[in-house]
Amino acid sequence: MADISKIIGIGLVGLIIIVILKQYKPELAIYVSMAAGVIILVYAIEELTGVINLLQSISNKTYINSSFLKILLKITGITFITEFAVSICSDAGEKAIASKIEIGSKVVIITMSIPIITSLLELVVEILP
Amino acid sequence: MDINLLFKIAAVGILVAVLHQVLVRAGREDQAMMTTLAGLVIVLSMVIQQISSLFNTVRTLFDL
Repeated sequence: MADISKIIGIGLVGLIIIVILKQYKPELAIYVSMAAGVIILVYAIEELTGVINLLQSISNKTYINSSFLKILLKITGITFITEFAVSICSDAGEKAIASKIEIGSKVVIITMSIPIITSLLELVVEILP
Repeated sequence: MDINLLFKIAAVGILVAVLHQVLVRAGREDQAMMTTLAGLVIVLSMVIQQISSLFNTVRTLFDL
């Protein structure tokens, strides 16, 4: 219960500080929102370690080879960071940069997921008569 | 690392705003600009340290 209240607390405190700072120094408001975002994300990601270890232990037991899981984890990590950057950029009003970051991350994800796609196709070809 | 980072940034921001006003009233516009830039640089370095720690956490966790 404490985790979610901590996250909400940090978010609200950041919001209050941004509202105060906006009158005096509008450019610093972006930094405060960035800092609050970073703190919440680091906290949320540390919560994820248990889930990731569980996934790895499950994948060892089953026949899924671990390289696929590694790629999936990499892709989730990439989406974490790109979502952080995209929301900061669009918050600051720079929607163009946000969409460029999004396109770049999509390219990176596609290039990373090529092994999965090829193995899937090979599987399909084997199944077909 | 926690909430006090936000308070530090807020404090630097308000201090820089006040200093800017004082220096402008005192007739030293260039020094006012300097203090504003200095404040921004300080806040930027603080935030960049946090962002680099975030990226390292993500890198080690998802072994990117």
